[in-house]
Amino acid sequence: MAKEIVDAMAMQRALTRITYEIIEKNKGVTNLAIVGIKTRGVFIGQRIADRLQQLEGATIPVIPLDITHYRDDDAERAGEKSSFNVDIDNKRIILVDDVLFTGRTIRAALDAIMDNGRPAAVNLAVLVDRGHRELPIRADFVGKNIPTATSEKIRVNMKEFDGQDGIEIR
Amino acid sequence: MPNEIYVMTTRYLILQDGTVYEGEAFGAPATTFGELVFNTAMTGYQEIITNPIYYNQIIMFTTPTIGAAGINHYADEAIVPAVKGVVVREIAEISTNRIRALSLNDYLKRHNIPGISQIDTRALTRHLRETGVQKASIVDQPDDHAFDQLRAMVLTNQQIAQISTPKAYANPGRGANVVVLDFGLKSGILRMLSDFDANVTVLPFSATFDEVANLDPDGLVISSGPGDPAQVPETALDLIREFETRVPLFGIGLGHELFAIANGAKVSELTSAHHGMNHPIREQITKDIMFATQGQAYYVDAKSIKDTPLFVTHIDITDNQIQGLRHRDYPAFSVQFFPDAAPGPLEETQAFAEFMEMVMARRGGGTI
Repeated sequence: MAKEIVDAMAMQRALTRITYEIIEKNKGVTNLAIVGIKTRGVFIGQRIADRLQQLEGATIPVIPLDITHYRDDDAERAGEKSSFNVDIDNKRIILVDDVLFTGRTIRAALDAIMDNGRPAAVNLAVLVDRGHRELPIRADFVGKNIPTATSEKIRVNMKEFDGQDGIEIR
Repeated sequence: MPNEIYVMTTRYLILQDGTVYEGEAFGAPATTFGELVFNTAMTGYQEIITNPIYYNQIIMFTTPTIGAAGINHYADEAIVPAVKGVVVREIAEISTNRIRALSLNDYLKRHNIPGISQIDTRALTRHLRETGVQKASIVDQPDDHAFDQLRAMVLTNQQIAQISTPKAYANPGRGANVVVLDFGLKSGILRMLSDFDANVTVLPFSATFDEVANLDPDGLVISSGPGDPAQVPETALDLIREFETRVPLFGIGLGHELFAIANGAKVSELTSAHHGMNHPIREQITKDIMFATQGQAYYVDAKSIKDTPLFVTHIDITDNQIQGLRHRDYPAFSVQFFPDAAPGPLEETQAFAEFMEMVMARRGGGTI
């Protein structure tokens, strides 16, 4: 049974806080680029970019990233590359995903980023950190830490894709 | 049914510019002096009357009838009200409410505060808007003697020293360790922190660095309070500068003005103070509009923000004035309005959620 653990308002607030923390940590927004991991990471990245635009008047590129080819459990498609249409050399990248779990998705995303250039830095922003890492990866910006059992599922709903905002556990 | 019999006594509200209003007495029969301010809130008169920001002030309500819900024991913003007088168009003769404990009339009598009714509060509000802040008095006779007394009266600029707690006290909880600096704290701030189960210690406004640091705070709240931020001692500004780099910091009302000054911004006095609870505020980062309660006589000068490490987070869309600030480099922010919603729209309490989330994030904790 699904249970909503973060409502729309708290989710908005978490995105707002992450945005402020990005400004704090990067001492501004110059030279930033956002890489959003498909699907919901792109929407979250876009919302962060919108907030930065409202606040600082700066347009931050949001690069959608499909990590399918970089997964370590899909030998058939390995080797294909994702190419960005934005130059990321010397950029400060904010890598965005909805849920941080084993860390394997992020590992794949880092490979994809490195295939496309040499950024000055990569920071990780996630809406939910649910624990159970299998790789030495941690997020720089976390909306909510949700301790979970491996058997549980965390689902992030986004208005753009799911019709409403909220985080559910089931 | 609580029904009171009033004996009509004529009294007068006099202003320093010579204006005289005749009205009917209620509350205590005392003679009072104070700065006359008007409040446009439609509800929440108990919270307003007991808010310490009204220290040395006489409150006039523009809402025509005041007192219909009586006074209860849950809506006090201070143990003893700091207000000097209450001016209304009409005092409700009958008050009913399921949590009512006594009438407004009896409450004011209990605290020796005079009230005056049958005043054309809307005309007087227009008059105040034109003339600005005025000293006023509620008296038995509007004679030369009364005016001499009124004009000779000097209101203290040491409101904060007089109203801040003289000693530290605890408001315990089982959550984050939060220190509140009391510049004229209203209870709503403590109520909100209790909602988050914060373990709160309230310190006098004159607290030293060590007194704060020795409590190992996870977060620091700079409270609202009465008066001119320019009168606040430099030590308080130093404390803000020291702690904004160390822990999440949240300034409210006067605390917002102090946070701004501590970071190099300028604060000026409004020609007409804002006291009401339907002020539309825009959150810059989302462009969302919310309604908030204001009680402000000073404002942060927007032009002075440029050369500071602050940026504007909230704006009052009626006059484009700053209602919220945030530090660029540290998790420190402030709001000019009253985020405790006592009284006021509940949406403004988001600021407390935001603060507590910052506190928990720094603790590595798991709440949103």
